[in-house]
Amino acid sequence: MNLTAGWLELSVAIDAEAVESVTELLAQFGYNGGVAIEHPIIPGLDGPEYTIDPALPVTVRTYVPIDEHAEDVRAQLEQRLWFLGMMRPIGALQVRALAESDWAEAWRRYYSVQRIGVRTVIVPSWLSHAPEPDDIVLSLDPGMAFGTGLHPTTQLCVQLLERYTPAGGDVLDLGCGSGILAIAAARLGAARVLALDTDPVAVDATIQNMAQNGVSGQVQAALGSLGVGASFGHWLGWDAPVAPAHAAPADGVTFDLIVANILARVLVALSADLVAALRPGGVVISSGIFFEREAEVAAAFAAAGLTCLERHQKGDWVAFVHRRPAPGGQQQGADT
Amino acid sequence: MAKKLITVVKLQLPAGKATAAPPVGPALGGYGINIMAFVKEYNEKTAPQAGSVIPVEVSVFSDRSFTVTLKTPPAADLLRKAAGVDRGSGAPNKTKVGSISREQLRRLAEQKMIDMNALTVEAAEQTLAGTARSMGITIRD
Repeated sequence: MNLTAGWLELSVAIDAEAVESVTELLAQFGYNGGVAIEHPIIPGLDGPEYTIDPALPVTVRTYVPIDEHAEDVRAQLEQRLWFLGMMRPIGALQVRALAESDWAEAWRRYYSVQRIGVRTVIVPSWLSHAPEPDDIVLSLDPGMAFGTGLHPTTQLCVQLLERYTPAGGDVLDLGCGSGILAIAAARLGAARVLALDTDPVAVDATIQNMAQNGVSGQVQAALGSLGVGASFGHWLGWDAPVAPAHAAPADGVTFDLIVANILARVLVALSADLVAALRPGGVVISSGIFFEREAEVAAAFAAAGLTCLERHQKGDWVAFVHRRPAPGGQQQGADT
Repeated sequence: MAKKLITVVKLQLPAGKATAAPPVGPALGGYGINIMAFVKEYNEKTAPQAGSVIPVEVSVFSDRSFTVTLKTPPAADLLRKAAGVDRGSGAPNKTKVGSISREQLRRLAEQKMIDMNALTVEAAEQTLAGTARSMGITIRD
């Protein structure tokens, strides 16, 4: 995340014809070239269908961090819009200051108790829940980190952790986000869990959620990665500064189970590092794999010497279970 | 009960490089969507087009689930590439920065038609010509 005093929202109401040219203009000034365009839609009765109300204007927005350049950007944009306004009707530039808290917490209102595995129930940390006798209840506040339990990839991983978490074993959660998978593994019987992420927002969220669930003794969270994983920028896509305190597990530290819910390209690049961190007979659960890219992951894991045990798909997303073969072909049972 | 559509937000973002910062955070967070879930989905689906701008339409439903539909690159992007210019004119009514041929306009219209509210190629051409004018790009006859 960008650390800033806040953001200026610059928005303008225009007719449909002007959307492309105004969007183009706002993209030149806005943070990361990003623009949001809101058409006046009339939703259908149900499903994804909608119509656009041609009588109402379209609102186009962009954002700039509030710093010493903000006023300059606003004035330039206003002038450029004035020129466009000579050619077609353009509303006045609206300016509004926003704080990150204005949007970062808004999703909480809609976050509710969810059963995402056979036994695993996610309960927002500000709600209570009466569990079934066998239930494993995770109390969670994901904050701005990935891993609310709502995403198909998280659900697939939790369902697989319910079956593959080794009782008394060592687990690595790579790309821990909110810590949801690391905490689930601890509650499902792992003796020790290392939770790593290259995003400090994620590590902070994990530490907080560990404490909330009383697993701080079992789970250790740190900024870091396996092998080449620190050379990627942010694992979910953008060029972020690499985590300064690089806490990769020391050479030779290995795990019975690794769960890595990241993205296909990261999993492919890390395949050799994953194998090196697995004990013989150890298992890796991987997800965050968009179905169009699953062949790349399957090929990289096979080339790294892993054997595929299971493949699952939910929506557009795929999860795999692979095993590092034990020497001499000795295989342990799948459900430990 | 079927889930109801709440809103549709269109975002124009750099392929593979969306972040939780604006515009994504304010545009989607207020509707109750987990922002990083969108970021993960957008970046994975657009990673192959890194370097381009890929607009995306996000439909938000009453249960706070969402669907993501990728669109063709913006008309302005295509026009700039066709005219061989880096950016549009600062004062398009006075200063022209480049031009494209009728044939180029026709090809762009055919490419963009699926994402435009245009019933015919001619109507799509007209809209694109309007966008070109407001960028200071002229159409050569």
